[in-house]
Amino acid sequence: MEANFPRPDAQTLLEIYRKATLIRRNDDRAHKVIRSGRMVMPFYSTKGQEIIPSALSVSLNADDYICTIYRGIHDSLAKGLSLKKLWAELGGRVTGSCKGKGGPMHITDPSIGIMVTTGIVGSTMPIANGLAWASKLSGNKRVTIANFGDGASNIGAFHEALNLASLWKLPVIFMCQNNRFAEHTTFADCTAVDKVSTRASSYSMPGYTIDGNDPDEMYGTARIAIERARAGEGPTLIEAMTYRHNGHVFGDDGHYMDAEERAAAIAADPLPKLRARLIYDGIASEDEIKAIEDGFERELDEAINEALASPYPALEEMKRDIFAHEIG
Amino acid sequence: MATDIILPKIGFSMNDAVLAEWLVANGGEIKEGDPLYTIESDKSTQEIESPASGMLEILKPVGETYDVGTVLGRIA
Repeated sequence: MEANFPRPDAQTLLEIYRKATLIRRNDDRAHKVIRSGRMVMPFYSTKGQEIIPSALSVSLNADDYICTIYRGIHDSLAKGLSLKKLWAELGGRVTGSCKGKGGPMHITDPSIGIMVTTGIVGSTMPIANGLAWASKLSGNKRVTIANFGDGASNIGAFHEALNLASLWKLPVIFMCQNNRFAEHTTFADCTAVDKVSTRASSYSMPGYTIDGNDPDEMYGTARIAIERARAGEGPTLIEAMTYRHNGHVFGDDGHYMDAEERAAAIAADPLPKLRARLIYDGIASEDEIKAIEDGFERELDEAINEALASPYPALEEMKRDIFAHEIG
Repeated sequence: MATDIILPKIGFSMNDAVLAEWLVANGGEIKEGDPLYTIESDKSTQEIESPASGMLEILKPVGETYDVGTVLGRIA
């Protein structure tokens, strides 16, 4: 991170921890629920990547936009998605954020700026450009975050989107979460550059590679990029280095992941570190932090029980919410 | 309130599994999170933990193939 970038104050750090803890507890709970047989769903764990959206979203406004991919529940929770809407959607229930018709891979809630979760790798960036272009035309000063992984930076749409966003000075941040794996393939095995951020120079925009698990670096860099976008100065590419603790999808044991590297990444887990820092710096007491954590467990119990008690969408819902003018 | 022991979907292409072994006897006590039974699916054997604490009531015998979602037993 550049030396002159801003650092989070005490309350912002606590908020980053609160968001990251919500994401972590939710992820752990999802594993438990799937293994108990209470829900069947494809689940793409974000464990290890929590700091990125937590430290970014504290600088976003409620009406700013995010676009994310199927490994994106952390992005949505950090933006403010309610656990009740999330779990009902994971279970395909009518009380979900997409009335149970989107499911785990399409968590979307435009009322709080979660504009799309797509199942197509590399597809968030052109969609984010569209939202940013609309913001620029209307002058509403909203910023759009396009989340994607390291693998997606090898997709054609990444290059097209960066080119156009730079040319038109769109208020968008290209947020590459480099978790070292494109599904089951390592970053080095499928990427011709050492750093994704170097690709920014091809499209005349700032590019940063930072430690995405460091709340200070992540906060400072995201803040500068967001301010630049909001001021009409154009896009930024951020490559936040992180590590995916789990396999690609639930049920994948990650046997292709280097065991030592994985163990080291898990040992360097940023959440306990941030927790200890909050206590050491006197920002929050052990009891206050415990109350936050226990509170999320209770909210999860409630959200899951409510979701399971909700009905599935009726058959006639199938043709609704597809077109601007309803067809059935 | 009794908790159903439901055969989970723990592999991307898993639709059923063989119930290989109950690790606790019928009527035995079990704690939430402790290993309860093993299944064979996708050429591997996996231990599944108990979803609750209490007394085990076995509903399905071992050695048979069951669909995902089958209630294998209950914890009361």
